[in-house]
Amino acid sequence: MDVIMPQMGETVAEGTLTVWHKKVGDTVSSSDVLFEIGTDKVEMEVPALADGVLTEILVAEGDTVAVGTKLAVIQGEGEAAQPAAPKPEASQPAAISTAPLKERPTRDRSMKLSPVVRKLLAENNLAHTDIVGTGRDGRIKRGDVLAYLKAPNAAPTAPFPAEAPGAVSGEGITVVPFSYRRKMTAEHMVRSKSTSPHVLQAVEVDFSAVNKARAKIGPDWKAREGYSLTYLPFIAKAVCSAIKEFPHINAHIEKDHLVVFDRVNLAMAIDLNFEGLVAPVIRDADLKAVTEIARATNDLAKRARADELTPDEFANATYTITNNGSFGTLITAPIINQPQVAILSTDGITKRPLVVEQDGEDMIAIRPVGILAQSFDHRAIDGSYSGAFMRRVKEIIEGKNWVESVS
Amino acid sequence: MAELTYREAVIEAIAQEMRRDERVVFLGEDIAKAGGVFKATVGLWEEFGDLRVRDTPISEQAILGAAMGAAMTGLRPIAEIMFSDFLAVCWDIVTNQIAKSRYMTGGQVEVPLVIRTANGGGARFGAQHSQAVENWAMMIPGIKVVAPSTPADVKGLLAAAIRDPDPVLFFEQKSLYATKGEVPDGEHVDELGKAKVVREGDDVTILALGLMVPRAIEAAERLQAEAGISASVVDIRSLVPLDTQTILAEVKKTARVVTVEENPRLCGWGAEIASIIAEECFYDLDMPVVRITTPHIPLSSADELEDEMIPSVDRIFESVRREVD
Amino acid sequence: MAKKATAKKKAPASKAKNRAGLNDDIGEENRLRMWQLQLEVRHVEQRLHDLFFQNLIKGTSHLALGQEAISAGFGAAMRPDDYTFCTYRGHAHTLVRGTSMTGMIGELMGKECGMLKGKGGSMHLTDVSKGAMGSYAIIGAHLPIAAGAAWQAQYNNTGQIAACFFGDGTTNIGAFHEALNFAVIWNLPVVYVCENNLYMEYTPISEVTAVEHPAADRAGAYGLPSIIVDGNDADAVFRVATEAFDKARSGGGPSLIEAKTYRHSGHSRADPGTYRPEGELEEWLKKDPIPMYRQRLLDFGVKEDVVSGIEDAVLQAVDEATEEAKASPTPPMEYAYTDVWADGGSSWRN
Ligand SMILES: Cc1ncc(C[n+]2csc(CCOP(=O)(O)OP(=O)(O)O)c2C)c(N)n1
Ligand SMILES: [Mg+2]
Repeated sequence: MDVIMPQMGETVAEGTLTVWHKKVGDTVSSSDVLFEIGTDKVEMEVPALADGVLTEILVAEGDTVAVGTKLAVIQGEGEAAQPAAPKPEASQPAAISTAPLKERPTRDRSMKLSPVVRKLLAENNLAHTDIVGTGRDGRIKRGDVLAYLKAPNAAPTAPFPAEAPGAVSGEGITVVPFSYRRKMTAEHMVRSKSTSPHVLQAVEVDFSAVNKARAKIGPDWKAREGYSLTYLPFIAKAVCSAIKEFPHINAHIEKDHLVVFDRVNLAMAIDLNFEGLVAPVIRDADLKAVTEIARATNDLAKRARADELTPDEFANATYTITNNGSFGTLITAPIINQPQVAILSTDGITKRPLVVEQDGEDMIAIRPVGILAQSFDHRAIDGSYSGAFMRRVKEIIEGKNWVESVS
Repeated sequence: MAELTYREAVIEAIAQEMRRDERVVFLGEDIAKAGGVFKATVGLWEEFGDLRVRDTPISEQAILGAAMGAAMTGLRPIAEIMFSDFLAVCWDIVTNQIAKSRYMTGGQVEVPLVIRTANGGGARFGAQHSQAVENWAMMIPGIKVVAPSTPADVKGLLAAAIRDPDPVLFFEQKSLYATKGEVPDGEHVDELGKAKVVREGDDVTILALGLMVPRAIEAAERLQAEAGISASVVDIRSLVPLDTQTILAEVKKTARVVTVEENPRLCGWGAEIASIIAEECFYDLDMPVVRITTPHIPLSSADELEDEMIPSVDRIFESVRREVD
Repeated sequence: MAKKATAKKKAPASKAKNRAGLNDDIGEENRLRMWQLQLEVRHVEQRLHDLFFQNLIKGTSHLALGQEAISAGFGAAMRPDDYTFCTYRGHAHTLVRGTSMTGMIGELMGKECGMLKGKGGSMHLTDVSKGAMGSYAIIGAHLPIAAGAAWQAQYNNTGQIAACFFGDGTTNIGAFHEALNFAVIWNLPVVYVCENNLYMEYTPISEVTAVEHPAADRAGAYGLPSIIVDGNDADAVFRVATEAFDKARSGGGPSLIEAKTYRHSGHSRADPGTYRPEGELEEWLKKDPIPMYRQRLLDFGVKEDVVSGIEDAVLQAVDEATEEAKASPTPPMEYAYTDVWADGGSSWRN
């Protein structure tokens, strides 16, 4: 049986084979994990789906191949090795490559640049080492260069030094190889930092109004839904409402212009128990109620940790919230999720003495207070716009009748 | 719009032009009273009579020679060569006489005629009745070469060929005669020398001709559905003149080109196009130009063997998918 | 511009009876015309021959020296709107339609004044304006083409005929047989003329042909009468030509005529003709059509000074045409890129 690169979501055309769990000659059963694949969004373990012996591996670890590409061959019991049908070789040199994939020369094809890639690199003063190739055998495709160029002032995004010192695990040292997801995150973070001039702005917010609503329905909610109603869905709702007045926050940067979206597709950064970070999307979050956002967030987190999300669930985010509140952090300066314009961090909310005005008099009150911090891309907007947006988020959180909106 | 078969479109085009222009006459073997061996000329003799629609002896040189003599003295003949393979027996008249006369005489002689012929395989006729010989024709200066893939193009391009002041070799793909398609009603005349983008795509451009066009379209649909590859399909339609503008614009757009040719491999039309692309669009290419052709072998007659040779939807699909990654 | 001094110097019209009082079915006007045409062919061919040896004409060339009576006889019998189709040995047939000598000589010299702009050369002389529909260098090809021109005449009922000239060797190629059968079944106004000069290139025709008379013996296969004529006698040629043309014009269909003749020079420029048996050429030179016809005219009472006057005028015209052609510049380079298509250009792509 031929093992084929599976389709991992409608929007995904290719995947990277990250790990082979079996080697040639191994006996495999259909439920064994045969290999892992990763896209820029998810990682997946793929079972063998057949009993037999793994007779051929055609795609090396780290290679990115199109959906449908033959990856390996499992020979079932009693199934004779299939000799390749004789093909009219001489007559079909280009159309039908008769050489099996495994016989492909192992030289570094990433150095073989197509004419259009050479041209684009030359025109834009780039080196091929600047670009991560996603083609067969790491070949740089035109699309790779164009994707790279979408971010103006782009700097090298290679997240790791090309020549790594050859450390080995030994006394006092453990070498932890980066997982595929770690590498992808690293690449994204380096690229984002080198692409966007980040500016951090923070506001201090009084969550009393939110707490009224949490107190009113929280216990029931917990009993009914099985998890707590946290501050996060309220913050998310406030962000969506504020975006209506400050739409440029909800945008992508493309080359030399801003693409502003009507709908808010809210990415929620979710920690995978210290094994990585993903940011699946709540689609049309601006149309959802606080409770719906709460349910969606919980569902995404649960499934993310179970590795059940599909690549489509990561697509087309317009704004991102990252939440470190559970660790009690004071403030976090988040890195923008490219190609978005801004990202919000929510941190610890604790009871603090706060000067409030009551009946015309200043007095100290004990209030649940936390800091909301937004990193924005200074290419897209300025501090005044971002500041005004943050002020509006604060006003909504503090001033809205949340009890009404959850009951 | 009416739905017509490819062969009915042939009849419509000839009838349209014969009604319009008294100078248009039609000759060939079994084309008049019998309506043609492919039944692609049924009814013309009944409508236009003995003088204008004439059966000939089995004399391919005489058929094309007479057409040429009539054309150079003022008529607008359409000559049928039953199977394109038979062009070999009158090739002198095509290449040395019809094609060269205008040039050799410093522009004095005009040869406004159309040679219609049933081209290509898929009908299990064996090697002498199945060749796709469009590449023979393409290499001769002085002949226009047209090969339609749809009934609408048959009508529009055949009418245009009949009106054209230059000689036109018009390849009808015999496996397409029974295929159907919408054809504009009333007078319909297309333009020679224009390729048509019949399917838009971003990742790769498939160039095809004649029978290969519907196959390329089907392969492109599958590439989209099964491999997420978005393929453009260009129906070349006319080999001479060649619409290089459309072709090169496609290369610039997708950076990847695959030709699908029914002619045997060597010197197929795709080779010429590949060389033009290499010369003029090299720096826009993201992969080598790939040619999918019938192998350089005479065609077989058995179903399985013939199908193995002529590029199939599967072969197009597999080749494109393999190359575009 | 091409000049044709002699063509304008028409001899005075003759009476039905000639000066010698002999019965004359051809008439003096036609005779003087044929005299002039034969002389034009003779002296132009001679001149071309000389120009080869001065290296002013390149390539190959096939002269009709010795065969002038055929082109002159048929030429004189044609209507101006009739069609001539001939072979690479076609200077003669093109010339007798009244084309410009300068255009012809210039074409062979590769000059701008050439009738084909320097793009055809000796083997493709054509003057559509005079009905000279081309010289064809692939053996046999023009026989069906001539049938097509005749088809046009038949279709449009114009009364034109097509005359098609070829050699004895041509009767052995397929197109000859296809064309004859085709012309007969369609009853086309075309007259096929085989100039049997005894040789296909360097091989005697008798060695490669199943029948004695390569054309005439095959006529029966197509339901046509066998016609053989003395190709060195312009009058005899004129008579069969007139008869065949009349038949064609009146709906009687095609004819096949075999004219016996002999070429005085080799097959082409490069050929010294050494394969010919000794004495053969000498025998045929005794039947040279030019001196024979000069004597014929004198016998019919045409005055010596009229006969010689025509020859002098022809020679003078040939001289003038030669000088004009020599003086013409070489063709502009752009000519190489024109006339492939009806739009005048050569572009095969956009
Ligand atoms: C199809 C073809 N075969 C061979 C030749 C070469 N060729 C040129 S002239 C000639 C001899 C033709 O003899 P004939 O028909 O008797 O004409 P002639 O030269 O005697 O006038 C040959 C064989 C040719 N031009 N075309
Ligand atoms: Mg001869």
